[in-house]
Amino acid sequence: MATTCEAIQELLTEHLGETERLSDEERRHVELCPQCCEVAAGESALGLIFARVLPPADPTVEGRVRSAMKTARRRRRVLALLPVAASLLVALLGAVMLGGLPGGSLLALLPVWSSQGWVSLAASMADWNAVFTTAAGATTALLSPGVLAAAILVSLAGIGVIAIAARRWRQVSPWRDIG
Amino acid sequence: MSFEKASDEQLVRFALDGDEDAFTTLVRRYQRRLTAFLSQLVGDVELARELSQEAFIRAWSALERFDPKYRFSTWLFRIGHNLGIDHLRRRRLKTVALHRTDREGDEVELVVEDTTKDPLGHFENTELAGSLKGAIEELTAEYRELVLLRHFGCLSYQEIAEFKQMPLGTVKNKLFRAHTVLRKALAAFL
Repeated sequence: MATTCEAIQELLTEHLGETERLSDEERRHVELCPQCCEVAAGESALGLIFARVLPPADPTVEGRVRSAMKTARRRRRVLALLPVAASLLVALLGAVMLGGLPGGSLLALLPVWSSQGWVSLAASMADWNAVFTTAAGATTALLSPGVLAAAILVSLAGIGVIAIAARRWRQVSPWRDIG
Repeated sequence: MSFEKASDEQLVRFALDGDEDAFTTLVRRYQRRLTAFLSQLVGDVELARELSQEAFIRAWSALERFDPKYRFSTWLFRIGHNLGIDHLRRRRLKTVALHRTDREGDEVELVVEDTTKDPLGHFENTELAGSLKGAIEELTAEYRELVLLRHFGCLSYQEIAEFKQMPLGTVKNKLFRAHTVLRKALAAFL
């Protein structure tokens, strides 16, 4: 009986004493059980108190949120573009440092890589590595150390921008405390 | 289709398509509940309004990353809750001791004017408002949070279970126990 009482009282708490939301059998129990009847009355009165706890609506909030929505949308677009811009900057600098963009013959290999799978890709990567090594050697020989250092600094700045953008993105994430 | 009758999920889809009216409907739907919940959390209804406004703006900004497997309500309350907790952490750093020792070595209590806006200030019965506030404060932190989510945030048991990542049965049981305490504390008004 105690278990039934507790189960019914849990239901009464959930429905704030509204016995209409109980089954016929549960309602009959409440009518016959003084303890459950008392809980039903108490919950009903508690429900009336809780019905008044919501503060009045503030009509200005809606307008303020609406105007902030436009700003937030613009900021979101800029934020989304930052990593792209930084990546492009780094890629461009890398290409410049290596003496120009990869030749058309190398770009033409792309479809071949995708059709021949990872083995071809690995072989081509070896070719790329050779190209990079040669180009890096040539760059070091041709560029003065100052220019080279400046180029590296600009590249690092690009990576820094990506890191800052990613961090900012994490900060605004509403799921940061979950999991 | 009237936005007022649309479900939260439908409104989120419209808002994702760039419909600001759809999102404004969600603001209208949750504003009072989120403010009520946050006002109890931070103890100041004006501050709670600012925090709920910020929660809506953050929700709008992050809407593309909203996972539809969760409910919008629990997601929004999570954002609001994080903001409230962040605020409390910052405020805690700025506190000063309320008890000092005077020249004679006696302990004196500093009187601090309460400038916060009472979250239950709209109650006509101030005695009831005070008792309700006291009764809620007397609850354990876990019970208090569940009561706030249920009766100030107006979340369903299922939504609370999702929010707290807690089994539904546990939510039912804990709220039952919390209500038992509240009924005793507020017996004079029931």
